[in-house]
Amino acid sequence: MLSRVADALFWMSRYLERADHLSRAVDVTFHLDLDLHGVLANPVELEWNALLSLLRQPPPPMAAGEQPVVAVQRWLLLDTANPGSVMACVNRSRNNARSIRGSISPSMWRELNKLHWRLADPQLQGRVAESPHDFCQEAQLGVLLFHGVCEATLTHDEGWHFIQLGRYLERADKILRVLDSKFNLLERGDGVDLPIRALQWGAVLKNCAAYEAYQRLYISRVEPERVVEFLLVNPDFPHSVRFCLSRIMHSLTEISGRLPERCSDDVVRTVGRLLNDLVYLDGHALDGERLHAFLGDALVRTARIGHHLHEQYALQ
Amino acid sequence: MQNSTMAGRSGPAAADAVALLGDYELGLAYDEMVDRDGGPRPHYGPLHGRLRTTSPDDFRRRKAMTDLSMQQDGVGFTVYRAEEGIERVWPMDPVPRIIPAAEWRRVESGLIQRINALNLFLWDVYHEQHILRDGVVPARLVLQGSSFRREFVGVNVPRRIYIHICGSDLIRAADGEYLVLEDNARTPSGVSYMLQNRQVLKRVFPALFNAYDVLPNDDYPAALLDVLQYIAPESAAQPTAVLLSPGMYNSAYFEHSFLAQRMGIELVEGRDLLVDGNRVFMRTTRGRQRVDVIYRRIDDDFLDPLTFRPDSALGVPGLVNAYRSGTVALANSIGTGIADDKGVYPFVPDMIRYYLKQEPLLNNVETFRPEIPAQRSHVLANLEHLVVKRVNESGGYGMLVGPASTKEQREEFRRAIQANPRDFIAQPTIQLSTHPTFVDGRLEGRHVDLRPFILCGERVTVTPGGLTRVALPKGSLVVNSSQGGGSKDTWVLAEERA
Repeated sequence: MLSRVADALFWMSRYLERADHLSRAVDVTFHLDLDLHGVLANPVELEWNALLSLLRQPPPPMAAGEQPVVAVQRWLLLDTANPGSVMACVNRSRNNARSIRGSISPSMWRELNKLHWRLADPQLQGRVAESPHDFCQEAQLGVLLFHGVCEATLTHDEGWHFIQLGRYLERADKILRVLDSKFNLLERGDGVDLPIRALQWGAVLKNCAAYEAYQRLYISRVEPERVVEFLLVNPDFPHSVRFCLSRIMHSLTEISGRLPERCSDDVVRTVGRLLNDLVYLDGHALDGERLHAFLGDALVRTARIGHHLHEQYALQ
Repeated sequence: MQNSTMAGRSGPAAADAVALLGDYELGLAYDEMVDRDGGPRPHYGPLHGRLRTTSPDDFRRRKAMTDLSMQQDGVGFTVYRAEEGIERVWPMDPVPRIIPAAEWRRVESGLIQRINALNLFLWDVYHEQHILRDGVVPARLVLQGSSFRREFVGVNVPRRIYIHICGSDLIRAADGEYLVLEDNARTPSGVSYMLQNRQVLKRVFPALFNAYDVLPNDDYPAALLDVLQYIAPESAAQPTAVLLSPGMYNSAYFEHSFLAQRMGIELVEGRDLLVDGNRVFMRTTRGRQRVDVIYRRIDDDFLDPLTFRPDSALGVPGLVNAYRSGTVALANSIGTGIADDKGVYPFVPDMIRYYLKQEPLLNNVETFRPEIPAQRSHVLANLEHLVVKRVNESGGYGMLVGPASTKEQREEFRRAIQANPRDFIAQPTIQLSTHPTFVDGRLEGRHVDLRPFILCGERVTVTPGGLTRVALPKGSLVVNSSQGGGSKDTWVLAEERA
């Protein structure tokens, strides 16, 4: 496969995952904001600022007379001046797909193209000021459709595996970031009522599309330690870091055509070590500071996987 | 041919029919559907009947379906000189153009004759140059033409074929005769729209389609792949073909990716290829892979910065030398531009007589050459009646359409013609044939041309039909997609079954 094509497949998928995650985060924050604004002094700033800092985004530019929250939502969802917005991510994903239209199935291109046009619809965008929910749903649904079509219509060969790499690497990175930022936030919030803590940790789960799956497994209140455990090391849930890394490892070995123990390149080594650390993680030993250090280290190593991938496969 | 859906619906539809097709105006041009007496030509009968019983609302709904299909499939093209950004969807008009079997047979034979003559001409001018020495085509015209590749004199191209893919533009004069307006022998585009239009039309008008016996055109990509494999170097047991594209910002990128996908070959850009030891490779995730045939959609000038334009970032350094040494094949070959040079065009009928000893089956449009003094004075005296074209421009750029021009434009061309007469040709303004086209809720006549696609490999094949382009602004004679043109599905009917 052409290196340029592999690169475009990787980024097509990675930007789409980023759009998916961000639209879910905005939707969750919007609803959490509605839940909390009656019980906490200043939840609006707290939650939206937390989201901005998670995304490493500065406060957005505000139009005259615009509500701060509306400005944040518009900036994160619609504004293509923000290269990290949902619209911008979908555009980049579509541009990558366009540059390799011949290497993906026609129905994949059509779904991605339809997603772009649906999200660009002025009516849908106009409703964001009142509620971003419809827009966010549309974005997430479009991403799911795209991956469904991809699963069913593209040969699961090298190119398909590069799509998986982009998707799961981005997802692992985002889960680690959510955990890290929220953990800090809630440590400081000691003494907050139990129901409110449950709401906030529930939002962490929802950010990772994990709320119902968590309930089903633990059949209990939302407990911070369990949330961390679930999102970090559950082997079977698609939005856990461990799950993402094992998919990455699987795709890497398929791409190289060798067994993992025979692979000695930098990218496999980096993934393998991080995966082992997660598999044998002692959850109880991770209280506040140590967890923060672990998550920070894991984020650095995740970034390194991306660098090594680009060197290994001459991606651009 | 009769089908139950063709039967007229009674009631309100009859009144609406007046709105959709009523008051259909005939101009001076030949109309494809309606004859001088206002009735449908025989092969348009069922379509005409159907249109008479279709309400404007129903038609509008179907038109919206075509637009949506085009948008969702991303059938876009890039407009270089438009302000509304670079992405525009190719407008397709849902009323098909229909060509009867016998008429198509004549067109097909004429096109085959023409491409054979052009390929013989190219071999000749890059080798012994008989036709120049015999004075049939002026030597200066060829040897000093900007698209003549001096570097390729004496090079033996695979199977002696220069033009593998040709898209000739045909128009119809007022009496209905098909005339060749130009031969596109470099990197003609439009074939993907031809195929896409058929897919969309079948979705939008299934019953109508069913009422006719239309020859399929879907074999084109497979036939093209056959051609590419036919010209591969003999050393390649299982030749690897690629399509070389300038990339996604090129106006024809949709077509490049479409064809690569339908043939199952890689779409590559210049940066994906490298030449080592006179052989061509592509850069893959597993290292280099040998390339044997390149269907290139990049002009000669940009193909290889070492041979042609040194500032080209689209091409592949060393590609031309590799081609010359026979380790890789190119389609089309280098240097075909001299065959579709507008200055050489007036001599194509003579080429047919010279090489094939046949009379041309398809005529040229009458053409004046300002470099001949007598013709120059005629051209300068009649600018407001003529179409003047620069010989080195294509795509509807650099053109003066006399009847639609301003005095300033005519003066500008007058000065340019006097300064460089060799750079221009002039032709009478032909009222291209008209075809009913959906405009503002009703059907009106709009001017059309036809670009059939000819492939030359082991044998010459012409895909039934081609791309009908339609000039959407009322009265406009410029059908190019870059100048506000749209397109139509084109049906060639099967022979009547006995």
